[in-house]
Amino acid sequence: MTVNILHLYPDELNLYGENGNLKALKYLLEKENIKVNILSYDINSKLDFKDINFIYMGSGRPEFLAKAKEHLKLYREELSLYLKQDKIMLITGSALSTLDFLSLYEVEKYDTYKVADVTATTSLCPGVIKAFQNTQYLIKNTNNLIFNLESGYGNNNTMLEGFKYHNLYVTSLIGPILARNDELTKYFIDLLKENKA
Amino acid sequence: MKIIAIIIAKIIIFFGNILKRGSSLPGKIALKIDHNLLKKLHYPTTRIIVTGSSGKGTTSSLIANTLKKTGAKVCFNNMGSNLAWGITTSLIRSSTIFGRITSNYLVLEIDERYTKDIFPALKPTHLVITNLTKDQPPRQHDIDLVYADIKKNLSPKTKIITTIDEPYLRKFALDLSTDPVYYSIAKNKYSYKNQIFENLNTYFCPICNTRLNYQYYNFETLGNYSCPNCSFKYEKPDYLGQALDLETETITINSKEVLIGGDMLYNAYNTMSAFATLKELNLDEDLIISSLNTLNQKEPKKFTINNILYYPISCKAENATTYNQAVFKVMHDSNPKDIIIGWKEISRRYNHFDISWLYDIEFELLNNKSLNKIYACGIDKNNIKKRLILSGIPENKIITSDDIPSIKPSVLNDNVNVYGILNFDYIEPFNNTFKDFDKEAKK
Repeated sequence: MTVNILHLYPDELNLYGENGNLKALKYLLEKENIKVNILSYDINSKLDFKDINFIYMGSGRPEFLAKAKEHLKLYREELSLYLKQDKIMLITGSALSTLDFLSLYEVEKYDTYKVADVTATTSLCPGVIKAFQNTQYLIKNTNNLIFNLESGYGNNNTMLEGFKYHNLYVTSLIGPILARNDELTKYFIDLLKENKA
Repeated sequence: MKIIAIIIAKIIIFFGNILKRGSSLPGKIALKIDHNLLKKLHYPTTRIIVTGSSGKGTTSSLIANTLKKTGAKVCFNNMGSNLAWGITTSLIRSSTIFGRITSNYLVLEIDERYTKDIFPALKPTHLVITNLTKDQPPRQHDIDLVYADIKKNLSPKTKIITTIDEPYLRKFALDLSTDPVYYSIAKNKYSYKNQIFENLNTYFCPICNTRLNYQYYNFETLGNYSCPNCSFKYEKPDYLGQALDLETETITINSKEVLIGGDMLYNAYNTMSAFATLKELNLDEDLIISSLNTLNQKEPKKFTINNILYYPISCKAENATTYNQAVFKVMHDSNPKDIIIGWKEISRRYNHFDISWLYDIEFELLNNKSLNKIYACGIDKNNIKKRLILSGIPENKIITSDDIPSIKPSVLNDNVNVYGILNFDYIEPFNNTFKDFDKEAKK
């Protein structure tokens, strides 16, 4: 079995060591003898999601987040189709601000940064999630949530965080979240296996 | 209020001197009595501020101590604090009770997020920016914020002194329409052609945002660059350091060999930074070089026992660049080696537990045949271990420990060179552990 992972804009969006998420995913996939190809596109690339099984995008400087959003907007239809096919996309940290044009969720931008150690639980996997927040952007919606926070900043001043739509997972949590939480990584590996089956 | 604030602060300084206790308390009290005190002081004609993500302490010390060698009086905040209270304490130390700072030069190392508050009062004649890199993410967030803070309240009349090797630092000249003084380190035997570090932020053209091409890299994003989309490119600097040799710890400036005070690349950049500043102050070049050669004569940090090299490299937690410099150093030694990584605490400023910066360090570069074992020590040993595993280092080469003394028998038994890639708070435990061995062996 081979999994094709697309890392969107690693040159531009690479603020808080978030490519550690892909290192963690690759490590555990390879432990299960699953071959992993990691492709990356920069902001000038022509995007093609056809053979992609997992898309990842992480935090960046505001200037580059705006450029990433403009670039992604050109692929609105392709991206919508990708998500409707239940293919997997994980968005972490400030990258959540780039996808509001899909009108799936709303984004609140704060003047000051929300910085916090996060402990949380989620229905996606057992155990306690350990993560970090360092962002000006949080999701406004309080539906389709991912995390129950014990500490940290949730959507719209609640203790609930993240947004899920089909297999699109959007969260402000960094860490890198997959590198710090094997059970969550295993959830995505099971999902990849299901999609491949 | 000004005079009362100064007198009270001076009294506290006096008693502090008797008790041999330096602190920022006098400045704190003085600012409580008079919030606008800094604006009311009379400053020397030449006011130099040194800021940046790292290296500002060393650079400002080289500048201040060289100026002192000319016989000049220098007000310098060498007491450790680069924030409001500490700076105010240093200023009051050098001031009359009427608020006149009687020194010829003012040299202040200032935290990069605090310069904006002090520029309106001090109006620096020179601003030295050592570098801007990823640093303390929970406090600094991203480099653009730090840049904006330094630029805020900075007059175009202030002469900026910085390195042209870092394209991001050219933004100051572009945004403020100023003409900075630039220094550079020429291509050298440690330079490389293809980028070896990931997760860098600043290799984009500050004019058109296109990713820059590099002829060579000195380190991370430092090097000779050009934009494939516009005319932006590396340009001839005002001061060039050549023939960098980290073994002899020297660099050549205007055909004269200068000691750089260590065998790390940042030692060379700090020395170039001080040299360029002192030249701009019209000091005699021979005097500058002679002073730098004296000040940069330092006790080596590495030591050898029974033909085994022990080298503790001091890094700054939450600053991936300082760790990358250590990794860059260690990777150049092809001999079999053990590496010890660790720290007592990540930050003394706040209680956040952020380890994201560990994933900005290129530990992948350590994964080669010369790596014997790698010891992950201290409170974050398991997080360090996880990072090392994800960098591809075989799990059987990684050993965790609560502290450095506990691994001593294992390390000695390995009988290979030992590098410490350590936060500064783990240097002493490293030295105590392995230098003790030297004493024991001599008994």
